[in-house]
Amino acid sequence: MRPVNDVGVPTAARRRRYGWYPGVIALGLALLAITVLTGWRMTRGVEEFGMPPTSSGVAPSPSEPVPDPTFRIGPGASTETGGPPLVPVQPGGPPAVSTVAPVRLSIPTVRLNAPVKPVGIDPDTRELAVPEARSTVGWYRYGPGMDADSGSLVIAGHVDSLTQGPGPFFRLAEVGAGARISVRATDGSVRGFRVVSREVFRKSKAPYDRLFARDGPFRLTLVTCGGGFDRKTGSYRDNVVVTAVPVG
Amino acid sequence: MQPLRLGLVGGIVAATGLGIAAPAVAVESSAARNSSVYVVHGIPGQPVDVYVNGEKTLTDFAPAKVAGPLDLPAGSYDIVLTKPGEDPESAPLLEVDDAEVPGGANLSLVAHLNADGEPTLTPFVNDVSKVAAGQARLIVRHTAAAPAVDVRAGGEPVFRDLTNPNEAKADVPAGTLNVDVVLAGTDDVVLGPTDLTLAEGTVTIVYAIGSAEDDTLAITSQVIRGLDSAPDGVPAGTGGLADPGLPTWWYGLLAGSVLVLLAGIALGVSRRTMSRL
Repeated sequence: MRPVNDVGVPTAARRRRYGWYPGVIALGLALLAITVLTGWRMTRGVEEFGMPPTSSGVAPSPSEPVPDPTFRIGPGASTETGGPPLVPVQPGGPPAVSTVAPVRLSIPTVRLNAPVKPVGIDPDTRELAVPEARSTVGWYRYGPGMDADSGSLVIAGHVDSLTQGPGPFFRLAEVGAGARISVRATDGSVRGFRVVSREVFRKSKAPYDRLFARDGPFRLTLVTCGGGFDRKTGSYRDNVVVTAVPVG
Repeated sequence: MQPLRLGLVGGIVAATGLGIAAPAVAVESSAARNSSVYVVHGIPGQPVDVYVNGEKTLTDFAPAKVAGPLDLPAGSYDIVLTKPGEDPESAPLLEVDDAEVPGGANLSLVAHLNADGEPTLTPFVNDVSKVAAGQARLIVRHTAAAPAVDVRAGGEPVFRDLTNPNEAKADVPAGTLNVDVVLAGTDDVVLGPTDLTLAEGTVTIVYAIGSAEDDTLAITSQVIRGLDSAPDGVPAGTGGLADPGLPTWWYGLLAGSVLVLLAGIALGVSRRTMSRL
């Protein structure tokens, strides 16, 4: 708070010579510096890292013949192998599409341990119906489940809520590369994951087809909100997406 | 009032057939791409052998079952159905010459009875375009020797006055519907009621088959997957606490520090002015 002393000149003498203004100017400069630093730290936003695994890496190359279990009709497709050719015939009975749901999500590095409930689509907006409850996150029940071996298992959670404050994914943007995630399923099984990427998308440009893909390598996709907040619409500009791959 | 025989046939396959992913494939014209063709057996009581261009393709194919998909290049095909083991030349049960298969299509060839009870073969183009997230497509095809019908869900008619050999379709929220089939404009139930589970991102094609006169009316169905699309968005925050923008107090602090700085400068200036007087 005091002006920097010249060596050998008593403070009282300096004050008599210059008055209070050097001290006030120094205080103003210090306050300004603190303000600017704080502002810079607050506006850094969410940093991205890594590359999520996608289906493009495993798509069969066009030059490679795609194994085809069905019978092709045409020259050379006759019964060389002996017996009638093979055409898949479906028997009666409904298709088996049972999916094992996740029930609990745990990310120790950000002290997150939240119940997971299955969610679908808000019919009015055609957007994901993310759970409103303060501590609950939602699994997109139409996509891959815990028994899947391909595709993106999506769990979304609120970053915060107007009425309830910070949400379950308030600290999702802090989850770093290599962080461990574990997800427990309704059947009691637990799958472990390792974080490989964090991405930030403007909602208007987010690649939802990729985030919700039902093909490609099996991975866990965690989605919340971030970026600038529009008080008029009560919504965020961005989606923050953390992708993790299975371990073990 | 025949009890409904629901032979749900799991025709589970990727809807796109060969046209997956690869950009080189995508730019080819549709005529150059193969079509996915299903064969549906809708004639009760008569297993058949199916010949395509003279080749025996299906042996002892049972009623109410669905075969496929066959991966067929565009072109015209001769299709013959016989009783199992019989000669397609001399003893055809049903014969169709030059059935046109367009390129890049998804078709169901349905062997069924026409409205007069005669065996016939009707090709249907399957609508495998994407459905919105959370939705499923229901297609109902009247391929039975029966008069016009209404299809009801939860007691309310959803498809009216459907006649052989036509179809009606709708995209509906995925889930389970309780459906029955009534004579058009009446409450006379001819099939059902039954619970029909429509999986999200699929098309479920339901066929009414058989003959009302012979009391063999039944339902069979096929499901084609891969019509799913992603949600339109993920709204996951309404509070603004995670906004990296600067809050009001920060601007207050900024204004305060500038004021202090200006005050110091003003003090200095006035002191110098005073000292010169």
